[in-house]
Amino acid sequence: MSLGKIFALDKVATFFNIIRQNGGIRASLYKLYRQDELKDGTLVGEDKYGNKYFENPRFFYGRNRWVEYNDKAYLNYDGSQVPAEWFGWLHYKTDLPPHKDPSRPKYKWMADFTENMSGTTGQYVPYSTTRAKVEPWVPKSKSS
Amino acid sequence: MLRQPLSRALTLSSPVRAAPLAARPYAAQAPPPPEKVEVFIDDKPVHVLPGTTILQAAALVGVEIPRFCYHERLAVAGNCRMCLVEIERSPKPAAACAMPVMKGMRVKTNSDLTKKAREGVMEFLLVNHPLDCPICDQGGECDLQDQSMAFGSDRSRFTDIHFSGKRAVEDKDVGPLIKTIMTRCIHCTRCIRFASEVAGVDDFGTTGRGSDMQVGTYVEKMFLSELSGNIIDLCPVGALTSKPYSFAARPWETRRIDSVDVLDPLGSNIVIATRTNEVLRILPRTNEEINEEWLSDKSRFACDGLKRQRLVTPMMTDSRGNLTPVEWEDAMVAAARALRDCPPGKLLAVAGDLADAESLVALKDLVNRLGSDSTCTEQYFPLDGAGIDLRSSYLCNTKIANVEDADFVLLIGTNTRFEAPLLNARIRKAFIHKDTDVALIGPKVDLTYEYIHVGDSASAVKDLATGSSSHEVMKRLEAAKRPVVILGADQLKTPEGAAILAYTQELALRLQDKLEDKKWKVLNVLQRTASQVAALDIGYQPGVGAALQAGPQVVYLLGADSGVVSRDQLPKGATVIYQGHHGDAGAAIADIVLPGAAYTEKRATYVNAEGRAQQTLVAVTPPGKAREDWKIIRALSEVVGQRLPYDTLDEVRDRLSEISPALVTYGDVQDNNYFAQARSLAQSLQKPVSGKVDVQLKKLEDFFMTDPISRASPTMAKCVQAVIKQKSSKY
Amino acid sequence: MAGVLARVIQRTKPQLGIVGPLVAKGNSNVPVRYQGTQKQPEGKQRGSPLNDSDRIFTNLYGRHDWRLKGAMSRGDWYKTKEILLKGSDWIVNEMKTSGLRGRGGAGFPTGMKWSFMKKPSDGRPHYLVVNADEGEPGTCKDREIMRHDPHKLVEGCLIAGRAINAIAAYIYIRGEFYNEASNLQVAIAEAYQAGLLGKDACGSGYAFDVYVHRGAGAYICGEETALIESIEGKQGKPRLKPPFPADIGLFGCPTTVNNVETISVAPTICRRGGAWFASFGRVRNQGTKLYNISGHVNTPCTVEEEMSIPLKELIERHAGGVIGGWDNLLAIIPGGSSTPLIPKSVCDTVLMDFDALVAAQSAFGTAAIIVMDKSTDIVKAIARLIMFYKHESCGQCTPCREGVGWMNKIIYRMVDGNASPKEIDMLWEISKQIEGHTICALGDGAAWPVQGLIRHFRPELERRMAQYAATHGPSKAERLY
Repeated sequence: MSLGKIFALDKVATFFNIIRQNGGIRASLYKLYRQDELKDGTLVGEDKYGNKYFENPRFFYGRNRWVEYNDKAYLNYDGSQVPAEWFGWLHYKTDLPPHKDPSRPKYKWMADFTENMSGTTGQYVPYSTTRAKVEPWVPKSKSS
Repeated sequence: MLRQPLSRALTLSSPVRAAPLAARPYAAQAPPPPEKVEVFIDDKPVHVLPGTTILQAAALVGVEIPRFCYHERLAVAGNCRMCLVEIERSPKPAAACAMPVMKGMRVKTNSDLTKKAREGVMEFLLVNHPLDCPICDQGGECDLQDQSMAFGSDRSRFTDIHFSGKRAVEDKDVGPLIKTIMTRCIHCTRCIRFASEVAGVDDFGTTGRGSDMQVGTYVEKMFLSELSGNIIDLCPVGALTSKPYSFAARPWETRRIDSVDVLDPLGSNIVIATRTNEVLRILPRTNEEINEEWLSDKSRFACDGLKRQRLVTPMMTDSRGNLTPVEWEDAMVAAARALRDCPPGKLLAVAGDLADAESLVALKDLVNRLGSDSTCTEQYFPLDGAGIDLRSSYLCNTKIANVEDADFVLLIGTNTRFEAPLLNARIRKAFIHKDTDVALIGPKVDLTYEYIHVGDSASAVKDLATGSSSHEVMKRLEAAKRPVVILGADQLKTPEGAAILAYTQELALRLQDKLEDKKWKVLNVLQRTASQVAALDIGYQPGVGAALQAGPQVVYLLGADSGVVSRDQLPKGATVIYQGHHGDAGAAIADIVLPGAAYTEKRATYVNAEGRAQQTLVAVTPPGKAREDWKIIRALSEVVGQRLPYDTLDEVRDRLSEISPALVTYGDVQDNNYFAQARSLAQSLQKPVSGKVDVQLKKLEDFFMTDPISRASPTMAKCVQAVIKQKSSKY
Repeated sequence: MAGVLARVIQRTKPQLGIVGPLVAKGNSNVPVRYQGTQKQPEGKQRGSPLNDSDRIFTNLYGRHDWRLKGAMSRGDWYKTKEILLKGSDWIVNEMKTSGLRGRGGAGFPTGMKWSFMKKPSDGRPHYLVVNADEGEPGTCKDREIMRHDPHKLVEGCLIAGRAINAIAAYIYIRGEFYNEASNLQVAIAEAYQAGLLGKDACGSGYAFDVYVHRGAGAYICGEETALIESIEGKQGKPRLKPPFPADIGLFGCPTTVNNVETISVAPTICRRGGAWFASFGRVRNQGTKLYNISGHVNTPCTVEEEMSIPLKELIERHAGGVIGGWDNLLAIIPGGSSTPLIPKSVCDTVLMDFDALVAAQSAFGTAAIIVMDKSTDIVKAIARLIMFYKHESCGQCTPCREGVGWMNKIIYRMVDGNASPKEIDMLWEISKQIEGHTICALGDGAAWPVQGLIRHFRPELERRMAQYAATHGPSKAERLY
């Protein structure tokens, strides 16, 4: 056991490493604000929506793979923004990320991934089948 | 013919059937009432006039006798036999609705014989009744349901349902308003009696006999009358139901709000049935002084017009001149800017047919504060002479209920049948029951009763007024003890209007001065719209002609939809602000549209043709962004910078009572005086007249669509189609 | 129809004091029925065959000339002027003395009916209406009068009109009676030409007109108020009473409605005296009467006989007896189709008059005797009568419109036996629910045959039901209640 470990200096090193890896103090604070945690890890890949996937075996199983959502999402990120091809890797169904897995089937009929829009303005609302109780007056157009 | 002098008098005019005496002070004056007799209903003594029926006597002591065919406003038929009661020392039960009381008669409405008779009749009625209550629109307000629960047997023994079933009757097409399911008919003949007695249309009757008897129109003919809807209320079962309301709602689901009708000048009392913020139907509410318990078809069925062609959002013209929806804020600011920038004399406000007193006073106050005093109504009234300064000149002074006590009625240039259907029903009632005669000056129209036609030239009025007429009507008028003269307001807009009014005043007041009964009023001017009387009371100028001459820069239309203001009459660049509830003639020419509330959507005051203030109540909320009318004007005044000093409805009404206390004494009508002054002021206007007297509404098809609400109503459109179709039928 | 109507008057006008004895026991269920048994009537106990010299209708069979000349030779129009000149009170009194009860079936005392018209006039004219709408099945007396003795009726109209101060008489004749109507019209024309009617009738200074109005074939128009409506040109539907026709009748004026026979006997009564007429028959049932005998008899006929003659004697003497002998008799409907039938045991002894038949739970009606021998399907016979009433119900008031149709359905099932014995009691109750609950008496007339059937032939009904159940299994009607 090194002295550094005794005085937890390695933790300090890790701390600085994490800050460096996340792009400095400012960027780290921003990331902390956005994601409530800071981690260091290796970038495994990035999906077409700009979400980045990291892995760090130092963390225990279950927390060692994670996604950092595209900055554009800002605080409005949620789990459904992870596309299907990365879902398996992120949830330990496979250890091969999509770009390193040649055996993945690709068919024409596979639809493009869409995130869950519930709770947003883009959510699906069934159209109303009730008739409006009042029929408003539509003024005659004077000039076309 | 219904009008048979003596037998009718004996059978129809039993004393209690008339309206309460409080409403009709003249009714009691006829012969001195005979001595009352004492009878006993379930051992309760009651003193009644001889000729009273058992049923009426029982009602006086609060004993309810079931009935189907009996209706207090119709002739007694006595054919349903539901009202059978036992009379002591009589082996047979007697029909309470027709049996007059006799001295010392002891009636038992609770005895075994009575109960058995009721049960028996009820059983017979149900033998051929389809019992389709679950799909019947009358369910929940059905006399047959109620009375079978209250007075019927608790089980059925109609075994023949296993063998031959029940009678079925083909349905009849009687027009777009009334749905018939004739299998349900119990042959009470109320509809037949209503049609021939009250509506004056002898189209209904029975054909066949025994169990083949059918109620119908003899031939394939529609029942088209301005009062036809009332047979829906009269029908004790679901045989006649409302076609527009069919399968719409159950009575227990609806919320009922008492209100007042504004589609004709009488202000009939109504009940608005609503559900989920939607007006479902309109029913009459009993008011002996106005509509009894009837309602005209327009008032009853035009309510679906409240859901169409509505203004639901403020609108402004965009750069291309098209009206586009905007927010209230933008519309208000634009309207306020137009008002503020308008030169004081160039502002004109025009009130329409359906404007309420509150918005009228608010608008007038606002316009006055902006330095203008041109506030007008659409309907003209001559300003010469007394003009509108004396209230008696523009009201029905006789009062509606008293018309049925008149002994001679002279109609001048009015088709009361379509201008005020329930007033016409009163005249017809007097004609049938009291032998009142009617004369008419104007075009020959069908008033549902016979009348003496004096021709249609205006000089006939002059001749009668000056006493130089040799027509028999002259003699009849002079001899009449309670004459009534009714002048249609439509005559007054002609160039000779002032003279006709002057002559009518002269005639009426000359007759009135000679009467023994000093309280009887002869002169009536029948307005055409619900808003006119209130507007004149508040001080609006009748007619827009003069105001338009002045070339107004800003025109504020308060529901003015009758088309008297059009773009051609306004100077180029004039701004038109329209406030109202329907997209009609007014909104079409507007630059700024402010959506207001219809009469079912606001608590508002209306003054009817006899000067009776009544208020509507809120039945539903205004649709979309529409708001109550006086509040819009009040808000606008704030934006203009001329804040009106009232914030609540009560404060507006305080303001109204400042102008005239009559505007807020609800339900009451005040007597008018100053007839003599009006007469003397009118003397100078008695100029020679040569024109013709004409009326606007001549035929039934003219009646249905007269205002923005009824013009928007699909039901009314169907009625017009039906009348036209009927005209081409060979029957 | 006329047969049943005035029964209503009898019972709704007790306060007027007519038919005194029955009012006294008003609380009883069937007060009218037993009126004759309350007190042994004085005078004659039974009628006997009439002498030819006492017959009023001397040309009943049309063997002589029916026109004016023939009629005058038989004594019609004899001293009519003198009778007229004796005045209204005398005539009414003579009618009261005669004890004549209305011959249309209800048996309302004619003299009293006419005296109702003597109230002080209020300016309205009075009318006499003669009910010649003889539609009751089994009844065929009025047509014989009008066909063979029309002048008796015309003269009767004049005298009755004088008695009630009428200005005109309307004879409402059944539409099917074409020949009768034309004979009657000829007779009226003759009377006018001879100055017997018109402005100065019989030279008495009394102006009187007679009109004939032909009906359109509705049984209900024999009801007096329906008849008035029909003359007025409306649907023949009975009016509510009160007001009675004596107050408000034809065209809203006081009116008396009488049967043809009642009117036709009036001149003879006036000529020969009320006491002469009263000498026939039992007390309160005086006079002579036209009996119509039809059905299973050897010689069906219409015959004038004394009142209170025993039924058996009447049939044996004039109708040649029942086919197959008296023992072959099953039942008799004694007074036209609307009266309850009486079984043979009653027929053996019953007298033909109002009170005796009421005591036998039937009614005298129009004295139209329908004889049924043992070959008759009695249930079917009554069912056919009910069908007639169902067809002729005017449909105005509920119990008759719905109830008679319902009874018709049930009883036709009972003909086959396709019914439940429980339904017999139900049918009885239904008939009771109709009786007395209607505007006019047609409902009563429809209910009574059924009641008679159930009263006397209940075992027959039950037998048929048992027979049906044995062959077809239990009727669907057993599902009752």
